[in-house]
Amino acid sequence: MPPAMRDKITIHSRAVVPQDAELKGDITIGAGTIVHPKATIFAAAGPIVIGSGCILEEAVILVNRRKEVMRIGDDNLFEVGCRVESPSIGNMNTISARARVHHTVRISSYCFIGAGCLLVPTEDEILEEYTVVYGPSAERRNWSGRGKLQEADLRRKHADYLKEMLPKFNRLRRGDGT
Amino acid sequence: MNTPIYYQRGEYIETDTGNKVSRRAAISGPQNIILGGKTIISSNAIIRGDLRRTGPGHAVVISLGRYCLVGEGCIMRPPYKTYRGVFNYYPMKIGDNVHIGANSIVEAATIGNYVEIGKNCIIGKFVIIKDCAKIADDTIIPPNTVVPALTLFAGNPGQIVEDLPETMQEMVEAQTKQYYTRFQPYPN
Repeated sequence: MPPAMRDKITIHSRAVVPQDAELKGDITIGAGTIVHPKATIFAAAGPIVIGSGCILEEAVILVNRRKEVMRIGDDNLFEVGCRVESPSIGNMNTISARARVHHTVRISSYCFIGAGCLLVPTEDEILEEYTVVYGPSAERRNWSGRGKLQEADLRRKHADYLKEMLPKFNRLRRGDGT
Repeated sequence: MNTPIYYQRGEYIETDTGNKVSRRAAISGPQNIILGGKTIISSNAIIRGDLRRTGPGHAVVISLGRYCLVGEGCIMRPPYKTYRGVFNYYPMKIGDNVHIGANSIVEAATIGNYVEIGKNCIIGKFVIIKDCAKIADDTIIPPNTVVPALTLFAGNPGQIVEDLPETMQEMVEAQTKQYYTRFQPYPN
């Protein structure tokens, strides 16, 4: 274990973070981002900055083992039980259930990583825009971008719905500042 | 096969209808969850009853039948979609005598009776599993799949591997009932 870091958690007033979620280290959560209960965000070495409109479902694990800042863009969806250590993530990506992304992969934008895929290359690489990773051997192909608007619309409505519903059933957590 | 499976007395709460729910299971929105009776929810399971359909009154989010088992670390959450431009979560219905193995993720719309789901499975959104089907361990079933009755599904993506014998119903019924009777607190 690395030396214990002081927790410094900044949560935007319009973000939804339940008390059941585990946050450790230096974490910034942007406006309209939804964290489900039982998700874990662990800034082990460097800080984690999450943009706006992201959704982190149950049992998601975000870890930053590097010294640099782990930057996550806007409108990303992390589905149940995925584990992401990627040092930078763009916008509108989907990481499906129980996928694993190693710290050697940087994700750009509009990428989709299928259920149960392992993305663990030994050398650093950047996942180009519109990459789809799928299947048991993590094959790749490119998405044409069709249905992008519909996807964005669904994502936005999903976040809006959760923003309204989650606080009714879960105790929320506030950042250190407020 | 009749050896009891013991648990610490304080760990499970037993209801009047014989449901056994672990204290260490995370159940949100319990008022929206229906358990049929003699159903076991193991520890560290996550059941999301809070993701309900919008609208007045209370909506059932997850209903489980009798003699079901939700394994350790299972995550059960209802599926979502937009329909006519409105975003909603949709209820999840699970029949009687259904066993779900440890660490599986279930987002199915309907699961029939006498279904067996293995360990570490991922059941996608709006999957329909018919009666007496069996899902092997580590299977990943993509969203919107229909699993026909009396078939064994396996692989990633899940596919039909073989047909199951017609005795499946009696076998699973006996097995699930036996599991419930074997599952008991330490005698003291």
